Amino acid sequence: MTAGKKILGAAVGAVLMGSGSAYADTIKVGIIGPFSGPFALQGKNFQAGVEAYRALNGKSVKGHDVEIIYRDLPAANPAQSRALAQELVVKEKVQYLGGVYFTPDAMAITPLLSQANTPLVIFNAATSAIMNTSPLVVRTSFTTAQTTNPLGKIAFDEGVRKAITVVSDYGPGVDAENAFKKAFEAAGGEVVESVRMPMNTTDFSPIMQRVRDSGATGLFAFLPSGPPTLGFVKAFNETGLKRAGTKFYAPGDLTQESDLPALGEAAEGLKTSFHYSVAHDSPENKRFVEAAVKAIGSADQLSFPAVGAYDGMHVIYKMIEATDGKQDAQKAVDAVKGLSWTSPRGPVRIEPETRHITQNIYLREVAKNADGKYINKEIQTFPDQKDPGLATQ
Amino acid sequence: MHIMAQAGTVSAMSKAKSHHWWRDVAGIALIAAFGAAGYWLFPDNLALLTRIVAVALLVLSIDLVVGYCGVATLGQAALFGAGAYAAGIACVNGVTEPMTLIAIGAVAGAAAGLLMGGIMLRAHGLAQLVLSIAIVQLFHEAANKASAYTGGSDGLAGLMVSPLFGVFEFDLWGRTAYLMGLTLLLLVFIALKFVVASPFGMLCRGIKQDPVRIRAMGSFVFPVLLKMFVISGAVAGAGGALAAISTQVVGLDSVSFELSANALVMLVLGGLGTLYGALIGTVIFMGFEHMVSAINPFHWMTMVGALLIAVVLAAPGGLSSLVERISASRGGKS
Repeated sequence: MTAGKKILGAAVGAVLMGSGSAYADTIKVGIIGPFSGPFALQGKNFQAGVEAYRALNGKSVKGHDVEIIYRDLPAANPAQSRALAQELVVKEKVQYLGGVYFTPDAMAITPLLSQANTPLVIFNAATSAIMNTSPLVVRTSFTTAQTTNPLGKIAFDEGVRKAITVVSDYGPGVDAENAFKKAFEAAGGEVVESVRMPMNTTDFSPIMQRVRDSGATGLFAFLPSGPPTLGFVKAFNETGLKRAGTKFYAPGDLTQESDLPALGEAAEGLKTSFHYSVAHDSPENKRFVEAAVKAIGSADQLSFPAVGAYDGMHVIYKMIEATDGKQDAQKAVDAVKGLSWTSPRGPVRIEPETRHITQNIYLREVAKNADGKYINKEIQTFPDQKDPGLATQ
Repeated sequence: MHIMAQAGTVSAMSKAKSHHWWRDVAGIALIAAFGAAGYWLFPDNLALLTRIVAVALLVLSIDLVVGYCGVATLGQAALFGAGAYAAGIACVNGVTEPMTLIAIGAVAGAAAGLLMGGIMLRAHGLAQLVLSIAIVQLFHEAANKASAYTGGSDGLAGLMVSPLFGVFEFDLWGRTAYLMGLTLLLLVFIALKFVVASPFGMLCRGIKQDPVRIRAMGSFVFPVLLKMFVISGAVAGAGGALAAISTQVVGLDSVSFELSANALVMLVLGGLGTLYGALIGTVIFMGFEHMVSAINPFHWMTMVGALLIAVVLAAPGGLSSLVERISASRGGKS
């Protein structure tokens, strides 16, 4: 009986809601991300960022209700990505697309945008080249080159003259290797050896031996976040390289906040460069972290994709404001070119030419905070960093 | 005795053929009708339907080697990916005519099938399965390493396919891609029906049931199976090329172990060794997956798992065996 009543109630509710939306216009935003599978945590961060933004800034813009439709894309799969985007545009009639964790997925969506008259705001996918594939793409995340670039100068300034690079052998790893090499050599240093490890390497002691044999005093590393990083850092400590004074540099993907509890003591003192630390000290970030933790459920799970999503929603809201709810992708994108605001990560700007975000890059050190929890403590700021990958094109 | 036995099977075969002849025509008409119905009923989901067609070709190709030859494989995506990358690379380098690209994909798939079959057929049973996994991993790593040609983990993007017959464009709505894919699927299906009903197809089934006996009959096993591998490679390669054309991007997922394993699951779901099972399994699996993942993007995988367990328990021979059982029971009544 009660179940029957519930169903009846839901049906009535659905009818009421349906008729309600016929009066007030609803603007739909389709978010594609990895909400299940091995990368589900990153997708959860997307969702937390979006929900945090809506909790703090309302669920409507200028009287237009904003509805979010999530679609799951568990792993890089361009064919599925295209199918999801097509369905969101053609069937669900979304006016905006957002999200996207992996580069190939973004590449599969961009050819559709001009025909769909829909802008795409990328919350993560971090390869420079995406931005050149459509004028309707805006990105609020980072690129590996952008976050890595300052490390070259940092290493040189700390007295490293000879460095070795060790990266996982896949796209972002190779990007990181090139970015560090370029920046370090521009500063006057020399990269004596570049090691590319297979993705599933778990025994790092031979690699540490190569680091030792190379005679380098600085080690630049890039691995996908998660268990391999843990093993790598442990091997670095246990083979005595740390004690011997070899300096360790890496972009912040390696010490993302959701991995820090597992890395623990092994990571203490590691210096990484990145665009966002959950521990960033500003009122904007405090507000954001509070709302995002509420959305994600646990403070330990919050990390950088959430801030990409949060700022992505800011851009989408600004687009809706500029077009007053009408579907006009070019006008929407034009409206946010040059847009600048204070993000939880610090001051940011959408570069008018590249539509990529310009932001501060911070040098951080893994340290314990007052509560005894490990954080990425910001120790140096490199303001106004553009994406060097796009700047050179 | 021997001659008599052979004559017996031949007459049984021709009898079976004449009995099944109208059923195959009806079946193919039914597939065409379903395909057309999909076009009219889900005009907003044609990209998904095209993806289903491409994967259906992969699943059909697995059915050829697993269902008809009894060769266990978890690496069929190597052939699918070979077709996808060949078509993609050709397209980026200026060959943009879609039919030509499909042909290139099929040829590349067949070549990869020759290579893969040549290696895999040297082993049996579990060792064969392990080899198939090793081969798909090698293909995956090769595609990752050769990033100058394949785009590596960023994917091979920028495929600009010219309109079909110079008129029908591959656009946002995906009508061209779907109708081309559907036609391709029908043609391939008809061709495969002839292949599996031919003496060569019968020989493959014989090898599946008892390779020793086939050998004793004076037939070579290896070249027969290799031939089937090449055919299956061409089918998978055509599917890969279709995926590349309709997506305009080729990613490493198209040569992944995951895709191989998923496709095998679809085949088992639909039923081995009937060709129809491959189509039924693909449509049900991908359609269901799409539906539940839209309803709950966060926890849909549990639903898919539940479906699989339910089907395997209720119909161990796959969904197509259910259809046969129902039609058989009806036949019994009438």
